[in-house]
Amino acid sequence: MTDQRGARRWFRLPSSLSRVHREVSDEIAFHLDNRVGELIEAGMGPDEARAQASREFGDVGAACEDLESIGRRRMRRERRANWWSDFRRDLAFGLRAALRAPLFSLLAILTLALGIGANAAIFAVAKPVLLDPLPYPAQERLVRVYARSPEGGERWGLTAGMADEIMRAQRGFTAMALFAAHPSEIVVGDAGGARVANGTWVQPGYFDVLGVAPTIGRTFTAEDFPGGPLEDLPSVVTVLTHAAWQRYAAGARDIVGRDIVVNGIPRTVLGVLPRGFVGPSGDVDFYFPLNIAPTLADPVRVRRSHWLGMIGRMAGSTTLASAQQETAAVAAQLAQRHPEDFKDIGTQVMPLREAMVGDTRGPLVVLLASAALVLLIACSNLSGALLSRVLARRKEFGVRSAIGAGRGRLARQLLTESLVLAGAGGIAGVALAALLLAFARDIAATTLPYFADVALDGGTMLAIMLLTLLTGLLVGALPALAIARGDPQRALGDSTRGSSESPRSRRLRGALVAGQIALCLSLVVSAGLLGRSLWNMSTAPSGFDSSGLVTATVKLPYASYSTPQAVVAYHEAVSERLRALPGVDAVASATELPRGVGNQNSFVIDGRPWGAGESDPWALWTNVSDEYFALLRIPLRAGRPFDARDHADAPPTIIINEGMARRFWPAGDALGARIRIGPDREAPLHEVIGIVGDVRNDAARTEAQAMTYASIRQSPEGVLSFLVRGRSDPQGLLPVVERAVAAHDPGAPLRRAAMLDAVLSEGLADRRLPVMLMVGFGALALLLASVGVYAMFASMATARQHEFGVRMALGANRAAIAALVLRQGGIWMATGLAAGCAGVVAIAWLLRDLLFEVDPFDPATLLAAMLLLTMSGVLASLPPVRRATRVDPAVALHAQ
Amino acid sequence: MAREELQLVQGTLDILVLKSLSWGPRHGYGIARWIRDTTDAALQVEDRALYVSLHRMEERGWLECEWHTTENNRTAKYYRMTNEGRQQLVVKTETWSRYADAVFKILQTA
Repeated sequence: MTDQRGARRWFRLPSSLSRVHREVSDEIAFHLDNRVGELIEAGMGPDEARAQASREFGDVGAACEDLESIGRRRMRRERRANWWSDFRRDLAFGLRAALRAPLFSLLAILTLALGIGANAAIFAVAKPVLLDPLPYPAQERLVRVYARSPEGGERWGLTAGMADEIMRAQRGFTAMALFAAHPSEIVVGDAGGARVANGTWVQPGYFDVLGVAPTIGRTFTAEDFPGGPLEDLPSVVTVLTHAAWQRYAAGARDIVGRDIVVNGIPRTVLGVLPRGFVGPSGDVDFYFPLNIAPTLADPVRVRRSHWLGMIGRMAGSTTLASAQQETAAVAAQLAQRHPEDFKDIGTQVMPLREAMVGDTRGPLVVLLASAALVLLIACSNLSGALLSRVLARRKEFGVRSAIGAGRGRLARQLLTESLVLAGAGGIAGVALAALLLAFARDIAATTLPYFADVALDGGTMLAIMLLTLLTGLLVGALPALAIARGDPQRALGDSTRGSSESPRSRRLRGALVAGQIALCLSLVVSAGLLGRSLWNMSTAPSGFDSSGLVTATVKLPYASYSTPQAVVAYHEAVSERLRALPGVDAVASATELPRGVGNQNSFVIDGRPWGAGESDPWALWTNVSDEYFALLRIPLRAGRPFDARDHADAPPTIIINEGMARRFWPAGDALGARIRIGPDREAPLHEVIGIVGDVRNDAARTEAQAMTYASIRQSPEGVLSFLVRGRSDPQGLLPVVERAVAAHDPGAPLRRAAMLDAVLSEGLADRRLPVMLMVGFGALALLLASVGVYAMFASMATARQHEFGVRMALGANRAAIAALVLRQGGIWMATGLAAGCAGVVAIAWLLRDLLFEVDPFDPATLLAAMLLLTMSGVLASLPPVRRATRVDPAVALHAQ
Repeated sequence: MAREELQLVQGTLDILVLKSLSWGPRHGYGIARWIRDTTDAALQVEDRALYVSLHRMEERGWLECEWHTTENNRTAKYYRMTNEGRQQLVVKTETWSRYADAVFKILQTA
């Protein structure tokens, strides 16, 4: 063997890249120097020797490169192998550690599963709405154009006149198309079995703008005889959605060219749209070609009926802002030409996505934030518990440190352990989320945009995995930091006596608990605010009595009920039939059920100056039967209800609500006044014959909206809702009413039969779901925070057991010990509550749009939440404090 | 063409290097000198190729290395054969002998 002095260990690898370089240079230099020396010894001159050695060696620079790249490759491979073997060791160790404390691990996994599961479920719901692109090619170029005005809001339908001008003037769009802004109900089939479906009218270019091609047949072309939704010019062709094809034609392959009867008129099927296609017109089964020419020719409707939706595909150079500018310029021009129609009416260009997502964004963002807060509480809770466990495992870490594990290694091991817990929690969380979604899917379906498909898909799973990873790191960070900064060696030395927590780790735990309480307070307050809003909404006086009322709504097919006389005859015959049923007290009918009257009409008061640059006021509009007010117990304030005098040939009459009377006839002279309904200046005048109490039409609005009622005999419509009050057992009456209505004319399908209360409650469903979830989150947060408080007091009491023993031996009484413990923990709880108040400010800002009749900074809610939190904190602290005061001095002192 | 020659030399070189280490650890310069002395400088081995061969075999685990101080107080990198390297030497020697025998037999049949 050669010289062994200064030998390094065999196998030693260069540990850094610079070292690789140095070792290679040294080795080559050594070789060259030796060779030169040898050549000189053999009699060569130094320069010649150097040249010779260099020539023999070959390209030195290239050699260095070769050798270094080999060295670097080796080093990287080795490091990777080390990392993995360490990771596997830590993983095995973490699993063993978790199994050694099964109860702790189970609780930790459960906590994380709740946190991750809640987030996963909410994310799965929010993703299709907030993140997923719409299912159209290059959907980011698609926009929807609305009209906007102070009266009609930001998402008003366009008039045919304005839409036409925009389409003529526009340069920034490659294609635009119009459609009826709201789908209409249609009757599919004939007397053999008619059903209600949704249909809409779209311009031939509609599908091209969206970039959607039919799977069978074709869509519309300009040659297809086009009609309008008013059926005065019925179209004889139709395109089906995939679902309608399945439902109404059993998916027949030869459907194209066959006829389907819609509204009593046979229409030829041109094509079938791809499965899952939903357009901006909403949830629709049948499409019909739209022709706006008749509307453009109508001198009144052309500029006054806001019934059109417009979509456009922006050209490459067009931006949202330039599209907005372009359309606004058209609107401004129109306002100059026709101020009486277009004053104050602008345009609103919106990404189609945003237009289709609608109002669900706000609640979803709140829910996402809340779920994140719950997870944060769970994390901090677990982090505190792990911190205590690190202290309990000090000996183990001391030993590992003594046999050569660096602090970094120990910290890494702790992180791996928390990742193991998080991973298990994540898996359980996904299972929980799947369970939650199975329950929530049906409820959510009615409140989410119709294109949203809620599922635990790939993207969601990826997000959950990332969240789980983040959770593991977050949970493990604090304990890992504690071990990395502490001195594990010392732990080995001093562990012979006591295991009193260090002040720093005690502070850390306290701060964690304070943070949990702060987050929890924010959540409980938001749940409280939303809960109060819902309560206010559902208990605020509605202005009518819905209890025990049975309703049945029918849609009359246009072909067989095209005259007002036919509709009135149907109405009277069915009302008579219902009145004759045993157990029925009273029957009324209306074109729309209370709450959710959607029709608005502009009106003009006779004798007051016309137009003058002012746009006409608007009022809600519904047609009712004579008994309507009595049946719903809507009080008559003045005048008379409808009666036989208001027949079809009599001068038109109208009943208005108190709010409208107050607003437009402040002098109290509404009775006897005459108004013109609708945009047509030649429309007949209606005389106000009665004033009735206000009905809250929109649950989320407090002020009474102006409302007009006309007699169903004077203005019959194709949709009719019957309202039936029975003497007893309204539930039993429901099927009886349903059968009676259906029996009268099988060709007029029953759209729905239900208790009015149920219908009203459904109207609040989209409000109720977020509240229910928030209350759930609040309760979960409260539970987690309570566990945190309990754990803090428990570890505090255990840590100071010895001290308490001494104090008691010296004569301190139980109350003094309890006060000591409570003071120490109480400070952190108070800190948390104070910090939580700051969090409430942020929450209140997020929630402001979702509240109803509640101040975002409602002191009662805040106070109640703080009280609730304090109470659960006190409750959680009782067992540990009790334990602290029960310390037997002798036992405590001996235990050491 | 040149690349292929280098490859051929290198394969052969591995055996020569392993053989030179069968008597104990040596540094790279020592191996180069041993090859030159043993073959009476008949084989022209470029030193660069030698070092690449050494580092490759180290990477494969046939050799391991350590740094020693030499007689004239310089540190040098010494290579030593591992058990795997020893097996490789046996295998390669056998392959090489069979190959040489075969070539030799063909040449003798003239």
